[in-house]
Amino acid sequence: MRTILAVALGIIAAIGGFVDIGDLVFNVGAGATFGYSLLWAVPVGVLGIIVFAEMSGRVAAVAGKANFDLVHERFSRPVALMTLVASLVLSFFTLAAELGGVGILLDLFFDVSPQLFALVGVLIVTVAAGVLSFEAIERVFGYGGLALLVYVVAAVDLDPDWSRIGHGFVPDAPSSTLYCYYAVGLIAAALMPYEIYFYSSGAVEEHWQRRDLTVNRLNAIIGFGLGGLLSVGLMIVAAQVFLPAGVDPETLGSVALAAQVPFGETGLLVAMLGIFFALGGAAIDTCFSGAYNLAQMFDWRWGKEEGIRRARNWHVTVLALFLGGYGVVATGIDPVALTEYAVVLSVIALPLTYWPILHAAGDRELMGEAVNGPIARTLGWLYFGLICVLTVAAPVLLVATDAGGG
Amino acid sequence: MKRIPAPLLAAGLVLVAGCGGPIGSDELRRGVETLDALAAEGELIADGAARDRTKTTFTRVHARTLGDEADHEAEKLADASAPPELAGAKRDAVRLAQDVGAALGDLQVMPDDVAGARAAHSRLRHLSAEAGRLAGRL
Repeated sequence: MRTILAVALGIIAAIGGFVDIGDLVFNVGAGATFGYSLLWAVPVGVLGIIVFAEMSGRVAAVAGKANFDLVHERFSRPVALMTLVASLVLSFFTLAAELGGVGILLDLFFDVSPQLFALVGVLIVTVAAGVLSFEAIERVFGYGGLALLVYVVAAVDLDPDWSRIGHGFVPDAPSSTLYCYYAVGLIAAALMPYEIYFYSSGAVEEHWQRRDLTVNRLNAIIGFGLGGLLSVGLMIVAAQVFLPAGVDPETLGSVALAAQVPFGETGLLVAMLGIFFALGGAAIDTCFSGAYNLAQMFDWRWGKEEGIRRARNWHVTVLALFLGGYGVVATGIDPVALTEYAVVLSVIALPLTYWPILHAAGDRELMGEAVNGPIARTLGWLYFGLICVLTVAAPVLLVATDAGGG
Repeated sequence: MKRIPAPLLAAGLVLVAGCGGPIGSDELRRGVETLDALAAEGELIADGAARDRTKTTFTRVHARTLGDEADHEAEKLADASAPPELAGAKRDAVRLAQDVGAALGDLQVMPDDVAGARAAHSRLRHLSAEAGRLAGRL
């Protein structure tokens, strides 16, 4: 029973973290623009996040250290501070994009004003983050986000050409810079740094021990694997619905519309529900990640379990991030555009995020028998190499394609 | 000669760019393609409304969002100066953008009017085809 419940940690990280506004935007955009030909980028990103999430959860379980503890320990202070600033900026703008997305989504349902509903969204997630226990947050947003499975069902219902889908999982020669931009965006959206910060800190919050290593492995594989399945569903539906119609989906309304086409109003409502929970969960993930990082860097007490009195700085940071995120949304900035920049530029922070995990998980003195085996070590270094390539390529592609505008 | 500070130069370029500079055929084609995509998405929304397979507020808000984009595109195209050989195409593109905006506006105003949605659907289909033809000429 404990194992099943613990898997929920992976599910919220997958649904609320893996499938966030960045995944919705990039997967639907890729499907509408390139059909199935970028499907291969999803498993590439998913395997990467599985490898690093498993490592970070293992380090948390064995050494009791969250990811930013490792950054703090293994980098010099200037580099650790640079990592902190980069991760905070990215978490903050991602949080703003998620909150803006929640506002747009509620407005599509009630039609008053996206800004007003962004405020309502901030209140909902702030109250949820404050009142609910860590486990309850996982369950409410994780399971609510499962409504996004409507896209997987729609992908099957639309009766796609499965052999072409199969071909989509084999990487093709890049056909344009826009193709490369989407490929990088899809992989980056899967590897967003805040997911790992949240995952490892969540493992510490839940007091994982060595005996939880199997749970950690299941969380990483099932949780993030499920996120990948949703991404595939989103891309296939976009390829089936939007590509033949010539639609260029640039709003969250377009993402919801994709489920309406096969299933009518029911599909629309289920999709909107799933998007609401996915964005709400991701807003909490990003907000907590920012606060975790700050607290771990400056050795504050942190976490939901500590309570407001004992972890006052951490709770104040959470509140400040939510309010600051709303401040960005209130300027009227387009959350989808903000997401594209946040996702692609997050690639720059990836090596700083993932190197300490790779280093710590391979440290026999720290990890003992739970040190990286040959598979984890090989995959870890392969992905670290890929991350370094993406770090160089992402800003160039962002400029060359005018942020995906072609 | 004294050099202009880079931030000032960048700000100046942004201002100049925002004042409707000359438009090339590539940029005009991209604008028309955007209109084509907006009309195509409007068609899907109108189809849902015409077959009563959607939620009224969704139709209204999403049509408004797309309509605002079409209006913005119309303004952008109207502000741009076109060389003589593109003047006719630019005029057609501005009119097209206005028509797409108007059709989406109809959906926004009466999202639960099934007959109106059918009319908007057929109009948007026609406008999408027109945009395709215009883009092909550029």
